[in-house]
Amino acid sequence: MSNINFERLVSKKQMYGYIKSVLKLNDNVAAVYSINGQVLIGEELLSPSECIEIIINNKVVGYIKGYKNCKEIAEIINYTFEKELTNKALAQETLEKYRETAILYDITEKLSTRLDSKEVVSLIIKEIKRLIKADHVTVMFYDEEVGILKSDNLSFNLGEGLAGSVAQSGKAEIINDVIKDTRYIIGDYYIYSMICAPLMIKDKLIGVLSASVEKPYNYTANDLKILSTLAFQASIAVENARLFEGLEEAFLAMVCSLSETIEKRDIYTGGHTKRVMTYSMAIGEVLEISENDMERLRLGAILHDIGKIGVRDDVLLKESKLTDDEYEKIKMHTVFGHEIISHIKYLSNIVPAVRNHHERYDGRGYPDKIEKENIDIIARIIAVADTYDAMTSDRPYRKGLSHDIAMEELKRNAGMQFDEKVVKAFEDAFILRKIL
Amino acid sequence: MLKLLIVDDEPFIRMLLQQTLEELEDEDVEILEASNGEEAVEVILEERPNLVFLDVMMPKMNGFEVCKKIKKENNLQDIYIILLTAKGQEFDKLRGLECGADIYMTKPFNPDEILEKAREILELN
Repeated sequence: MSNINFERLVSKKQMYGYIKSVLKLNDNVAAVYSINGQVLIGEELLSPSECIEIIINNKVVGYIKGYKNCKEIAEIINYTFEKELTNKALAQETLEKYRETAILYDITEKLSTRLDSKEVVSLIIKEIKRLIKADHVTVMFYDEEVGILKSDNLSFNLGEGLAGSVAQSGKAEIINDVIKDTRYIIGDYYIYSMICAPLMIKDKLIGVLSASVEKPYNYTANDLKILSTLAFQASIAVENARLFEGLEEAFLAMVCSLSETIEKRDIYTGGHTKRVMTYSMAIGEVLEISENDMERLRLGAILHDIGKIGVRDDVLLKESKLTDDEYEKIKMHTVFGHEIISHIKYLSNIVPAVRNHHERYDGRGYPDKIEKENIDIIARIIAVADTYDAMTSDRPYRKGLSHDIAMEELKRNAGMQFDEKVVKAFEDAFILRKIL
Repeated sequence: MLKLLIVDDEPFIRMLLQQTLEELEDEDVEILEASNGEEAVEVILEERPNLVFLDVMMPKMNGFEVCKKIKKENNLQDIYIILLTAKGQEFDKLRGLECGADIYMTKPFNPDEILEKAREILELN
């Protein structure tokens, strides 16, 4: 304990007052001196006869000099300081706990909003580096089917190496001075010590989290505690993220299946859907619509003609021109499509693609007769893509028009049937070779 | 000389805050303490600290009241007041704003954040 701290400690209001009272009780015939011989508390004395050391943590930090009772006063002061130092040490401990708690609250909050497993992993790695001494932090995932732990550039069998060992036992470990451990397998870089914790959900292993240092350092039980707590948080977050991604995948697969049902009934519609999707996405890119709208556009294009399943074969697959009556029946595919997807809440934001892709910019379309920007952008885009494909593909009763003639038709109707901006974007998409 | 005041009715909390901010004493900051609302007002009027960490939940006169009283005084407007409130308690943010506090922080606090904020406000970076 340095001199400065002793002087500071002694000058704190309460301590100072307390010592002053003690000295006063002794009629001020003794005083507290610093190592350098300056009076810190009490009155300067001429030729004090006694001199007792004040010792804290086995170091001399000052003196009590006076005419009598110096030894007793020194004892009182030593005791008081020891108490004070214990308090400070306890306070430090508590602050350390506060720090950890705050960090845990913090990471729980951050993790709870992440649904991308890659993001979760990089956040975990970042937080660990912040909280524990670590040169390398690795998250490895367990592939149940093959019994292998994998990360971007490493892989271990269960039971192999330190990570494999922890994965197998399910118990977190500190391995200081790894060279001495027989399980250690030398990797790409040299490490001195490592701590490792399993990532578990209930009793199922999903991976392993490890941190290591290159230079000599011994991990403590506290470090392992922090790692284990973070591992627990990480497991939940990662599992969540993967379940969500799995859900998304499953959902998309369902949407594609749904779309496929149309293709099976009517070959023309199948290929048409794929092409409309390609054209629509290209237009969306040129118009630089938001990521959210792009996603809506994609799903919307895939499902825009789903309602055709409600149109009878003899009308849908008719090879000659349609009568007015039959035409009205076909128009219903927009409303049918809406009804079909209305069961899926998640698809509620693509309803315009399905219901309104036959509206006209001038409001003379169907089924709702809405106009201009009141028509959702994804519907306006699909309208152009849809019409273009209808014109350019072969039908039983006529061959498809050429690209140039079809483009001319679109431009001729821009502002009336179609949104001018969308038609222009479509043209640009070809020029920019977004569509080949 | 910069001054910083810690106000909390619990001596242990005062000690923790004191411990957290101790290193600032080497940078010419005087750390003062008060254990209740009335004492806080007295100390503020007399010492005019630059920054006050003010506990909300105190008997007799709570943090909001202290804050309101201080902010009413013309020459004490630019004393920076940080309200300390227990996490999990429904902190009345509106009331906090109304009484004129500058920001609030929760207990248990992150010592690093407290120190960082103090440095920022006292311009000791």
